[in-house]
Parts: sequence; structure tokens; C-alpha cells
Amino acid sequence: MTKKCIFLIALWAILVLPGPALAKDSDDLLLDTPFRQIQEQAHDTQVRWYMFGGWAHVNDWVDTYVAGEMKKQYNIDLIRVPMDAGVFINKLLNEKAAGKKIGNIDLLWINGENFKNAKEAGLLFGPFAQKLFNVKKYVDPKSMAHDFGYPVEGYEVPYGRAQFVFEYDKASVSTPPKNMDGLKEWIHSNPGLFTYPQPPDFTGSAFIRQVFYAVTGGHEQYLSGWDPDLFAQKAPLLWDWLNKIEPFLWQKGQTYPKDSAVLDTLFSRGEVAMGMSYHPSHAQNKIIEGSYPKSARTFVLADGSIYNTHFTAIPFNAPNKTGAMVLADFLISVEAQLSKYNPDKWGDFPALDLARLNSEESKKFQAVDLGPATLGSDILTPVAVPEIPSEYLEALEQGWKENVLDK
Amino acid sequence: MSWTSKHFLGLSPLILPYLVLFCGGVFLTFCQSFGVLTPLPYGGGALDAYVKLMGDPSFFASFFFSLGVAAVSALFSVLAGTFLAYRVWQLPRQLATAALVYKIPLILPHISVAFVILVFWSPSGILASMAHSLGFIQTLQQFPNVLYSGWGIGMILAYTLKGIPFAMLLVMALLVRFDIRQVQTAAMLGASGLRIFFTIVLPRLAPAMHTGFIILFLYSFGAFDIPYILSESRPGMLSIHVYNLYFKHDLARRPEAMAILVIMFCFALVFIIAYSKIVNHLDNGVRKL
Repeated sequence: MTKKCIFLIALWAILVLPGPALAKDSDDLLLDTPFRQIQEQAHDTQVRWYMFGGWAHVNDWVDTYVAGEMKKQYNIDLIRVPMDAGVFINKLLNEKAAGKKIGNIDLLWINGENFKNAKEAGLLFGPFAQKLFNVKKYVDPKSMAHDFGYPVEGYEVPYGRAQFVFEYDKASVSTPPKNMDGLKEWIHSNPGLFTYPQPPDFTGSAFIRQVFYAVTGGHEQYLSGWDPDLFAQKAPLLWDWLNKIEPFLWQKGQTYPKDSAVLDTLFSRGEVAMGMSYHPSHAQNKIIEGSYPKSARTFVLADGSIYNTHFTAIPFNAPNKTGAMVLADFLISVEAQLSKYNPDKWGDFPALDLARLNSEESKKFQAVDLGPATLGSDILTPVAVPEIPSEYLEALEQGWKENVLDK
Repeated sequence: MSWTSKHFLGLSPLILPYLVLFCGGVFLTFCQSFGVLTPLPYGGGALDAYVKLMGDPSFFASFFFSLGVAAVSALFSVLAGTFLAYRVWQLPRQLATAALVYKIPLILPHISVAFVILVFWSPSGILASMAHSLGFIQTLQQFPNVLYSGWGIGMILAYTLKGIPFAMLLVMALLVRFDIRQVQTAAMLGASGLRIFFTIVLPRLAPAMHTGFIILFLYSFGAFDIPYILSESRPGMLSIHVYNLYFKHDLARRPEAMAILVIMFCFALVFIIAYSKIVNHLDNGVRKL
């Protein structure tokens, strides 16, 4: 009996004891430490970066360029761990519920609803963004104030910018549609050759938001925050539009590609004539990789093309917060952003405020050849429209299931 | 040391993981389905998630579709597996070793089998291309739409490919201990091959077939990997629906995801109990050999 008691007490001690007070204090201390000192402390440590691992070229860029520079500049060992954002959020939730004070994730690649989920559940360390030298020097504070309409408050650091584009093969489609009505006509006259990934897939969800803006009179009305009445009034227009094109989609709309990777495969095999991506340089990357034909091109619709910023954030129980801050700072540096902008590396658009660069630096950005498939900022910027607040996003995804998929 | 604690300690390598991991997981799933212990404080009533599910026809569509896919693939796997095992058992000794190739799909993970099906059967896949180059079809569009027929044929193919060798393995284990003289005697007395199979062999194999069916059926009902690759959008498999709710939607919808898991878990329990009851009942009515 005594033994059993001792055993149970020991079990309880292991699970519960490590006190919550300690971690909180050291966080505050760290947030008061000057960044110069943090950079010094970060030397000779290890940083584990959990990020989406579905893009071979991005993985290569992180493993070679970023890891190499971190080693050279700080002697930091960078370990890239591929994991979808939804999965690491759940991992952190479980760790928080279990009272695990020291986890094994140092930095996250995150944005949108995942960021909202993480911040609401208290999974993030911060606010730390304004400590970083490169954020203070190069980032426009307005550009990092909100993430999908949700206040960032310094809990994440921008490191790239994405914008929604459609993809086509100019060898088979001579003139791509100019606007959303044109796209609808094109789908009607080319049955079976268009489809979009099934929401809640990231890209498919962005596509329906894009249509939502276009068929309900623009994005401005939604930006002031969640309005259930407005949604109830406007959403039927979207469902109607999507249901009208459904019989003309790939497989007669009976099924949808599970995610954007499946759509990419369909496009590269010619089962559909159009693809789409939330990354303007995605088609160019695929050409370089050899899976898209050389004649693949991208286009945007005049009704607007959604852009967003992707970010890095630090979990509440990161074992190496100093190293994570140094990495987040490096990722938003001019050199890293320039390297990332190059389509041979990644082709991800810079999250810096280009107006804050000196003339030599901005020349370097202008000199980057994006490749024939990627649109220049002269075409992308005029049609760029901001992301919708995340409550709408959730409502649209759920509404799509009820009104389009299960109708 | 008392009898119970001694036994508890002895069994602890087995009981502890069971209690902590399995029971802990089930307990948490039940709690979260009622909106308790959720990652975000939950405002609704305890049964909200269940009420929502019961009022959602698409949930029932998914539920019965998953049941159908699981039942067809498990039934077919067990029948084909039993038949093949019996044939392999009858093979001459030299060939019996070669017949071990049947175990290959057992080693393949489910996800690879799903990819094999996808690569072979998709409208622009290997079989379609072959049929096209051999001139059986004029365009790739003419290839029968196996993966996107709305009947889950792709998943049934994949589960069957994995299930047949599994059923064979279970049945073989009984067959190797089977006394071949019973078959020989029956044959000498003039029983036909069919009659021998159905009256002598099959009743002996029934326990393995029942076990195989239950395992395969419940596995395919709840498993995620093959549907992740091969499931269509409508009706979707339940496991995909849970996955989307759990990983891709707002955390506020966690109770819904958990409620589906609870329903699936309870269904599995009820199914096992009912199935064993029915089998026992049937066995009592049958004359034992």
C-alpha cells in the first residue's frame, strides 16, 4: 500500500510539479534584454525551426543558405523540421495542457487562422518583434499590424509576402480570362478543365475568398471586422456562383482535389488547364523543377488578387528563445530577403518596406530576374487586395461545405 | 505484498501504457466532445456538438458511406483471402514456398498501397496510358473513372489489396494445424471438392474469418491514410472529416471533431459486441464437427 502511494505521488510530481512561475519570469527578463546581448547569448546554440515542408526548393533554401549563414554568423545549428501548421499547433496545445515547460520547437512558420488559434490559446512568446534590429529598420509597422485582420501585437515577425495568382499553359490557353466574369465564361466553354482545391485547403480557401470579393462588390466592406448580417446577406451570391460553375469543373464537380499539391499534379499532367497558387513564383519554381511545361505562365484577375504576409513566431515553451529571435531577425534581413527573392532559390516576395532600403540595396532587388512565369510587381501591386478577417474565413469554409459540397 | 498489487506490478508494462495512453486518450476525447477541457474555453452546452451532428445530413452520409466502404472491402478481403489460403494450402510443397509472395502487400504501409492504386488507376495513370497506347481507348477520358466514381472504388481496391494477405495469414495459421486426413477421408467417401470445402474446411476456418472481418472492417471504418490519398469530396470519409475539423478549422470546433470520434468509438464497441453475440448464436445452432 505504501509503495503504491509513493508511486502515485512520484507520478503526480513528474506530471505536475515543474512550477509555472519560473518560466514567466525568465520570459519577462528576456524581453527586457537588449537585442545585441541576445545575439551574443545565441552563439553556439541549436535552433529547431518547424515549418511547412511541402516545397522541396524552400527546404533546400533553408537547409543550405539559411543554415549556412546561421552557422557562419552565429555558429548556430539550424534544424529544419517539416510539419504542417495545424499539426504543430496541436502539439503545442497538448504540451501546454500537459504543463510541459520546455518543448522542442524554437521557431514556427505561421500565419492567419493558425496564428489566431495559437495566440488565443496562449501558445506564443512575446511581444518580441519590435526588439529585432531588422524589423525596426526595414519593416513598415503598418504591414505587420494585422494578420488576416487579427492584431499581431508583436507576437510574430514577417518574413515573406505572397499573392494569389492563377496558372495556365500558354501553349494550350492562348488568352487567359481578364476578370471573374471572364473566368466563369471560360469555365463554361471549357468543361472539365478547371477545378480548385477543396476548402479548408489553404489555396482552395483563398480561391473562394477571391471569388467572394469579386462577386459581392469588393473587399472594403469586410475589413472592419466580423459582421454576421453582412455575411448572411452576401454569402449566397458566392454559393450561387460556385454552384453554377460546378457541373463544368474537373470530374463534373463530383469531387475536388484534396489540396493544392493534387491540383498541381493535375495541371502538370494536363488533366486540367489551369492551376492556382498563393505564391506568385510557384509556377516558375515548378518550371525550374521540371514538373511544369516551360510555357506555363501566371495571370491575375482585374477584380483583385489577395495578398498576405507570412510570419515567424516563437512558442511559449521554446527551449532556445534567444536563438529563435536571432533566426527571425536574420530571415527579415536584407541579405536573406534578397536571396529568398531569387526564383532559383525560392522566389518569395520580400516583406521589407522597399522604400526603406538605400539605393544600392534596392538596385539589387530590382536586378533579380523573376523568370518568364512570374508577374512583376507592376502587375501584381495594382490588383493586390488584403486578406479577410479570419472569422469570415472560417465562416466561408464552413459555408462552402454546407452550401456547395453538401448541397 | 498483496496478491493484487503483485499482479499489478507484474502486469504494469502492459497496464500502464494502456491506462495512461489509451484510457487517457479516450477520456480526453469524451471530455472535449462535451466541451470540457478544450484548448479554448467553451461557451456552449455540453451536448451542442452532438446535436449539431445529429442535425447534419452530411454527417450521416459520411457515416454510412464509410460503413459501406469498410463492409465491402472487409467482406471481399476475407472471402478472397480464405479462398486463396485454401488453394495455397493445397499446393504441392515446392510451390508452397513460392506462394509466400502473398505476404508482400502485408509489409507495404497502407499509404504506399494508396499511392500504388492512385498511380495505376487515375484518369492519366499507368493503366489509362497503357490502354491508350495499346489502342483500347482513343482518348484518356474514355478510361473508366475508377477513382472518382462516387462509390469509393479506389479505397475499396486499396483496402482489399491490404486485406486479402492479412485474411490469408489468419486463415493459414488455422490451416497448417488442420488434419488433412479429414479431407482425404471425405474424398474417399465420395464428397465433392465443394462439399469438402463448405462442410469440413469452412467451419474450421470460421473463427479466423470472423476475427479477420472484425479487424479489417473496423480498421477501414476509422483509418485515415488510405482515404487521405483516395477519398473523394462527396461523400467524404468520416476520418477525413475529423482530420479537417481537428487540424484545419477554428479551435472552437474541437468538440465537434471529438464528438465524431466518440460516436465512431461507441459504434465500434457496439459492433464488436453485437457481432460476437450473433456469431455465438449461429454457432450454437450448428452441429459441431
